[in-house]
Amino acid sequence: MSWASFNVLEVMSSQKYPQKKVGYLAAIQSFRPDTEVLMLAENLLKKDLTSPTPIIIALPLTAIPHVINSSMANSLLSDLLPRLTHSQPAIRKKTIVTLYRLALVYPETLRPAWPKIKERLLDDDEDSSVTAAIVNVVCELSWRRPQDFLPLAPRLFDLLVQRENNWMAIKIIKLFATLTPLEPRLIKKLLPPLTTIIKTTPAMSLLYECINGIIQGGILEGAGGTTEGEEIARLCVGKLRSMLVVEGDPNLKYVALLAFDKIVKSHSHLVALHQDVILDCIDDADISIRMRALDLVVGMVNSDNLTTIVGKLMRQLRHAPIASAVDNPANDRSTANGVEPLADSEDEDPEEPLGPAETKYDQTPPLPEDYRIGVIRRILEMCSWETYVNITDFEWYIDVLVQLVRVCPALKATGKVGEDHIYSGGPLSSQSDISHEIGDELRNVAVRVKSVRAEAINAAQNLILLDRREQMFPAAGNGGQGVLEYSAWLVGEFSSYLNNPHGVLTSLVHPSTAQLPSNVLTIYVQAVPKVFVSLTGGQQYSWTRERKTSVSLLLARIVHFLEPLAVHPSLEVQERAVEFLDLMKLVSEAVSGQEPATTEDDYADPPLLLTQAIPSLFTGQELNPVAIGAQRKVPLPDDLDFDAPINENLHSLLQQAEHDIPAGADEDDMYYFYNQPPSAYVQPQTAADRLGSAPIEVTSYQQADEGYLDPDILAKRKAEKRERNRDDPFYIGTDHRSGTSTPIHNIIKNTNEELDVDSIPIMNLDLEGSDRALETRARTDTAKRKPRRHFEIMTDENIGSDDPISSRDSSRSDLVRPSQAKGKRSVLVVDSSGLGSLSLEDDRNSGKLDVELREAEAKALKEVERLRLEMQRASERILAKDVPEEGILVKRKKKKKPREVEVSESVEPGEVPVVKKKKKKPKESEGSTAADGETEVKPKKKNKKVREVGLEEGEAVGGS
Amino acid sequence: MINAVLVFNNSGQPRLTKFYTQLDTAVQQRLISEIFTLVSNRPNSSCNFLPLPPLLAASSTTTSTPNTDAPSLVTYRHYATLYFILISTSTESPLALLDFIQVFVEALDRLFENVCELDLIFNFETLHAALGEMIVGGVVIETALDKVVKGVREQGRVAKRPVNEGLNLGARGLGGLGRAR
Repeated sequence: MSWASFNVLEVMSSQKYPQKKVGYLAAIQSFRPDTEVLMLAENLLKKDLTSPTPIIIALPLTAIPHVINSSMANSLLSDLLPRLTHSQPAIRKKTIVTLYRLALVYPETLRPAWPKIKERLLDDDEDSSVTAAIVNVVCELSWRRPQDFLPLAPRLFDLLVQRENNWMAIKIIKLFATLTPLEPRLIKKLLPPLTTIIKTTPAMSLLYECINGIIQGGILEGAGGTTEGEEIARLCVGKLRSMLVVEGDPNLKYVALLAFDKIVKSHSHLVALHQDVILDCIDDADISIRMRALDLVVGMVNSDNLTTIVGKLMRQLRHAPIASAVDNPANDRSTANGVEPLADSEDEDPEEPLGPAETKYDQTPPLPEDYRIGVIRRILEMCSWETYVNITDFEWYIDVLVQLVRVCPALKATGKVGEDHIYSGGPLSSQSDISHEIGDELRNVAVRVKSVRAEAINAAQNLILLDRREQMFPAAGNGGQGVLEYSAWLVGEFSSYLNNPHGVLTSLVHPSTAQLPSNVLTIYVQAVPKVFVSLTGGQQYSWTRERKTSVSLLLARIVHFLEPLAVHPSLEVQERAVEFLDLMKLVSEAVSGQEPATTEDDYADPPLLLTQAIPSLFTGQELNPVAIGAQRKVPLPDDLDFDAPINENLHSLLQQAEHDIPAGADEDDMYYFYNQPPSAYVQPQTAADRLGSAPIEVTSYQQADEGYLDPDILAKRKAEKRERNRDDPFYIGTDHRSGTSTPIHNIIKNTNEELDVDSIPIMNLDLEGSDRALETRARTDTAKRKPRRHFEIMTDENIGSDDPISSRDSSRSDLVRPSQAKGKRSVLVVDSSGLGSLSLEDDRNSGKLDVELREAEAKALKEVERLRLEMQRASERILAKDVPEEGILVKRKKKKKPREVEVSESVEPGEVPVVKKKKKKPKESEGSTAADGETEVKPKKKNKKVREVGLEEGEAVGGS
Repeated sequence: MINAVLVFNNSGQPRLTKFYTQLDTAVQQRLISEIFTLVSNRPNSSCNFLPLPPLLAASSTTTSTPNTDAPSLVTYRHYATLYFILISTSTESPLALLDFIQVFVEALDRLFENVCELDLIFNFETLHAALGEMIVGGVVIETALDKVVKGVREQGRVAKRPVNEGLNLGARGLGGLGRAR
């Protein structure tokens, strides 16, 4: 609307109040601090501010906060200050807020204004709404520099005790919450009135704010240990609980959870008492409440309740319909209105009085995607917390991960940059996909927890296998694809664990693979030779004709897969494809060259390349998790010299290479690279002892309702367990004896009939097969036996683990913080950071003079600049040689300058204009040396000198 | 402080937009539509606090410090055909903001006598004036109903609904005011 700015200004300056009012309204809605006509409006604003009619004064007062910029702030200040003592309270309170907004754009203006505002606050006869406005402003100001507002505490305390206005009381409590950390004595003083308010007030908002203030102000910690402290803590938590349960008001639920969230860090034991009601909130119909509850449970999770909480969340994810962002609002709105949706507002009966909205249908809304992502992220966060201290059963965790892949929301086309994903080297867009994080967890578990590695690899295999794709991934959309990257790495790295390597290899080299995103494809290409080696590299079998045929068949398929990738648009894929393509071609040459054994009994050696060379590329040191900061701490070898060329005649080599490209030359390098013995200082280090005493025995996780896992995952679990324990007589006993804690329990509960039939006969069969003696022995044995397996979790490898940098948090913050801090500022933010550096304590007395001083300085600067220009012009006109007299003059000037700076510094330490002045001066003296020795110039210079001295004196007077 | 006050109807058409910081019109519209999407999806039984819309949530990831300048609270109330929304920072009390909306609507109801959306369409100046009596520059200055109404009336006569349009004029009782859910 910038085209109309000038017209708006015209209307603003109208004589008639109604027109003026409209003009101001237009200005508020359309002007910005950089609107050009504002320069013209400045005088109008000043004029209206001094108008005798109160309603006219109110117009600029409300308009100024919307249009103010720093240059205007300075000049409007002198007109605003007198309004603080206007006879009408309405004007006074608006002026106070306007002054606050002035201070936001130009903090210096607060210096002269603050004493007057404070005077208003301390005045007992002041109108109550003005006092409330001041309290609001002080509340805004205080969190930047709370120490400046401590002197106000007694007055604020009086206002709180008087309790004539709940709104103000809320603000005062908020204010005290920022003050108490600075002045511990306040806590003792505040406790009695706050307790009375909590006990007596009928206003929920005040009650809540009291509790919130007690929590945020650290009063709970401050009063901890005393009986009063205990009492108030119990009182607060009790009230919060009743807000959750008794009232049944969703708003109270929401804020109570907010408050719990703040307590949970310091008083987790108090919050844990109310775990039951909090967990109920996770399943609340309201997404906002769920979100809060979710935040809260992350803080209160421990090894006992982890499975319950994750179970609840998983059930939510599984049973709620997947909401798509596109069709949802429309659907919902139409049902909500009950009339034709999206009607023009004219048809929509705008005459309806603004009564309470009629009840809409109450139904669980489908989960929005970001909520789903949030839930999944929270689950991962809870489970992986402190390197899995809370997890007692990793097989369960792997099942959870696999199930999570299935409920992954579809990938958004425009991926926004999510959290920094440290492990993922993929492009930025892939990082927002939650499935990457799931995959990362799967890999983490497989690498860290050796005892469940087989299960983890099995899960990865199932994810990779094409014929299981339908089952493992969400039915709609392309969600969950990110997990492929990690699965592919796992099946490659731990290919010896695979129970269906043929199937995996087939899936890896399937033509559809080439459609995958490049970062996944990179890993696929790398995994192919690894799986191939584990399939074919065995030396124990003879090199028969069948073997030769099958190997060459596989080779042909791999080559067929890699060949098109050699021209893939992604360089990383291309490079790896080319490398392995050549390698595979070499292998196939060797394979076809090797004569197979002619008879059955003969043993013929398989080609060495197949059994020795290629496997050695991928074996060697086991890969262990490495702490994030570890790389930094690797000591530099003394003889490391980056300047020394690695190969002296590199240049000639390169030139040579241009002439003839040696085929397969890179093989040697790779061999060297992979087989290089790892540096000795990386010590593998396990953390078995970390788990040693911590987790208590869980009362059989199987008893927990595992309905959140899909039936087939459950079935697989049972089948695996059965398989594993088939030959274990002790397990038969266990199954028989404690029926409820075995799969039977779940299987019966399960809706899947087929499973039921399938599993029970096997149980029976086993029971019949086992004899009595065995059974009794099993009984005694299992009594001693813990059902829980003990898991060893590898910690990050590091050097000197005591180093604070090695701790996960600090190193992470090292890496992540800068990017966050840099992140663009949110919209709608009113930046008040300028106030942070402004101290109100310092020179409250000299406040008013300060502005004048500033103006004087600005004038002086202008003057200096003008003179400098004049002199420069003079020097351009006259080119003359140096005159001795000139040198003396300059010297004298130099002597003067430091004194001048000193004076001004004592007036106003660290002020910007003074610094500028300092910078300007040398230039000026340069100018004077350049413009040397002419009679024309000299008088001027003297003239200027006199003026300068005059200015200095002015400043000195101003400062004193 | 309060960063923005929005009023829009059930189809997302804005009736009042007041931002206490300068924003491009495009950003304003995006914000309104994002909030509308959030708000229109909520059943009536749910609470009156919205999660941050994507536009605001993107940059306010650091929740470690209790107070910041970034808006952290979106409060709304639904009256008949209109949604009233307040966006504010953490220095405001969530429950007090709900009461604030209630006072605002009650003030409008008193000014217009049984206020409805049409009143606000035709007399948006009064709407702005009432808000101006309650918030200046993002800071709440008045919460007493009487004083707000008096302040607006001092600025001139409050125009009544155009008679031609008022098909249901007076047909509905004051029940419209009642406590919002």
